[in-house]
Amino acid sequence: MRISMIVLLMAVVAAGSTVAAAPPEPQRGGSAVVAIGGDPETLNLGITTGYAVGAVAASIFSGLVWIDARGEIQPGLATSWTVSSDGLSYAFELRRGVKWHDGRAFTAQDVKFTMEQVTGLYHGRFRPAFLNFEAITVMSPQSLKITLKRPYAPLLRLLTVFDCPILPRHVYQGEDITRHSRNNDPVGTGPFKFREWVRGDRLVLERNDAYWDPVYLDRLIFRIIPGAALRVTALEVGEVDMVADFYLPKTDVDRLKRNPNVRLRLGQPIPSMGFMFINARRAPLDNPKVRRALALAINRVQIVTQAMGNLARPARGPFGDGFKWAFSPESDYNRLYPYNVERANALLDEAGLPRGAGGERPVRLRMVYDAARAPIAATAAIIRDNLRAVGITVDLQPMDRAVMIERIYTRPDYELTVQTFTSGGDPAIGYHRIYASAAPGTPFVNATGYSSQEVDSLLNRAAEVPERAARGKIYAQASKILAADVPTLMLFDEIGVDATRATLRGVWIGAEARDRWDAVWVQK
Amino acid sequence: MTAGSTPLWRYAAGRLVQAVPLLLGVVVVNFLLISLAPGDPVATLLGEYPAPPEYIAQLRREFGLDQPAPMRLALYAWNVVRGELGFSFAYRLPVATLVAGRLGNTFLLMVTALSLAALVGVGLGVTAARRRGSGLDTAATGISLAGYSIPDFWLAQLLVLFFAVFLGWLPAQGIRSVREEYTGLAAVLDTARHLILPAAALSFRYMALISRLTRASMLEAMSQDFILAARARGLPERLVLLQHGLRNAALPIVTVIGYNFAFVLAGSALVETVFGWPGVGRLLYDAMLQRDTPVLLGVLLMVSATVVVVNLLTDLLYAALDPRVRY
Repeated sequence: MRISMIVLLMAVVAAGSTVAAAPPEPQRGGSAVVAIGGDPETLNLGITTGYAVGAVAASIFSGLVWIDARGEIQPGLATSWTVSSDGLSYAFELRRGVKWHDGRAFTAQDVKFTMEQVTGLYHGRFRPAFLNFEAITVMSPQSLKITLKRPYAPLLRLLTVFDCPILPRHVYQGEDITRHSRNNDPVGTGPFKFREWVRGDRLVLERNDAYWDPVYLDRLIFRIIPGAALRVTALEVGEVDMVADFYLPKTDVDRLKRNPNVRLRLGQPIPSMGFMFINARRAPLDNPKVRRALALAINRVQIVTQAMGNLARPARGPFGDGFKWAFSPESDYNRLYPYNVERANALLDEAGLPRGAGGERPVRLRMVYDAARAPIAATAAIIRDNLRAVGITVDLQPMDRAVMIERIYTRPDYELTVQTFTSGGDPAIGYHRIYASAAPGTPFVNATGYSSQEVDSLLNRAAEVPERAARGKIYAQASKILAADVPTLMLFDEIGVDATRATLRGVWIGAEARDRWDAVWVQK
Repeated sequence: MTAGSTPLWRYAAGRLVQAVPLLLGVVVVNFLLISLAPGDPVATLLGEYPAPPEYIAQLRREFGLDQPAPMRLALYAWNVVRGELGFSFAYRLPVATLVAGRLGNTFLLMVTALSLAALVGVGLGVTAARRRGSGLDTAATGISLAGYSIPDFWLAQLLVLFFAVFLGWLPAQGIRSVREEYTGLAAVLDTARHLILPAAALSFRYMALISRLTRASMLEAMSQDFILAARARGLPERLVLLQHGLRNAALPIVTVIGYNFAFVLAGSALVETVFGWPGVGRLLYDAMLQRDTPVLLGVLLMVSATVVVVNLLTDLLYAALDPRVRY
């Protein structure tokens, strides 16, 4: 009898613990405070790719789709879509009953207006896709068709709020969009409405009760904290609830892991890479042998452990391994360019750069980089040490971002630089610009002077073919050329880290920490 | 003030008129220096993806960057004369609006820091002078030495670690709480709580400076004959010290506060950045990083004008404090 009582008691306790382990119900109310590093330059997300603008304005506006934590496309302002078999026509059904924050009804005309007058003209990621549009046809107030000149595989991914936020036609039509007064006080369809912006201090949004999904937080507050270390401090003392990857100094991650009040998400669904542009316009870097020697001489594992605090994977190829389907084992850096000082030395000798009496080769390279980014500075220092071991002298030239952009892109005057690019969810969106022939002087594209017609045409095809398997084969072909030529040496695939207070729930429903704040709630 | 001397108002007005060419010179020099600095504001502003070239061209036109530098300078100087400080590239707002929104916060921080420095510094200095050679004197000298040697941005971070993280007594960031929406007295108290750490960090160096100076001036003043006379008249020591000693020692202290005003403003850029204090110093720092030329020029001009006015006030205060000074 007594034993059976104990068993019964244990069963009850077990049942109780099962109940406790079930996910708690979202609670309405309260506010969340998110740290950002500086004021956004505008709140019109349609005219910029600036990170801070997206952090705030993604909750004010909506896109036709959003990307979930697995990287899959989900319906937003568009509830469904069909793509024609030739990949040239996309038909969208739009959500019914959606209202702008000022009470006006949202229609397909808003979508057409936004693409033709705003994002198609001004948005750095959307515009290249828009240039391939044949027409945007409004079929009814709630349906719309986009026809393309050539198929474009990543099109749906460019319809998120970050790439094509839908703007109100009735507010902007016929006016100067880039200087419109409502850019600082925007009208959207998103889960939060604009309320207040005290520059240098905070931005406050409040719940949009008319949003189609439940919104839990009363207010979403962005606190402007310029000092990286102080953003983490503010999280630790509970003054802010979230510091997203972009604003989180990686050196603090180990400490945060031990803090029971803080939760971390490691790894991000949207791949992003760090790499070294090698200015191939300049001798001896115009010689592929020399570039291959650099690839062999640079220790990517050391960079990952020492500069990135293990929050990265050593790069395995020209497009990394973040997109499994685009990775080609044939061009695996681990096989082609393992860290090997002897082979690097042999290649440099072969290239006609023998060591002098002091052991130094007649090569002096300037490494230009953004001084404000500690992991990049550490990476540059490791590369300098690695190359010294093969007799190459590297002068480190840290500079502030504005000057760095000029020295790398606008008026290229450098030999080596470490940069990081995000893929934007597809290699065609974010990575092609690393290798494709570029108009000289354009910021944030291929700055090496490398230009290969074959690579260009392969990349164009990879953007047009819809099936991933077929695209993977094209990337394998491009990878083969790029791994042999090494105009750019990939260094690492980043592992992003977002940090939140443990009381913040429902975060990370979207691929990006900036997305889907409607689902977030505070556990009291 | 007295017969034979220029009236004070005329002196002050003369000084202000003299300041006009000086300030225009400041505008020109700053403009040239900033134009020489590399870095394109448009490229800095447009995010991490290549922006459409037409858009870049449009922004360059809008910002006037398609004009040659001398033309831009002439246009800028003309606008300044008309009282217009231009339009911020980064914020897309009039510079005057931006600066006005921040000025109050910076003055609150500076006035609090300087008052704190003066009160504590004078107190320490007087005490040290009075008990020369005592343990207290040594301690005051030690604190001064620390004040000279510790950089304020580093002290700021230490203060945050100790009082905000470790003890949890004071907020680490910002000018007021964002979760709660206080009004009236509660809002004032909330800002006061946020003010303590940045003001302490900013004041430390000047407190040290003032305490050293007060100690030295007091020691000198107290050895003068009039002090002996005052004591001989049987005045209580407290009065001798404050009315005769300190009043005579006050001139160098006023000098320190007056002429260091510009340095305090410069120091506030770092302290404001550490504490996320939305003041002019941080606006300046952000503008430098973003190559926001109109904001840089506007803030620098405003700082120069403030320094001119504060120096003038310091000179006038001299006359009030020391009957021997005449203008």
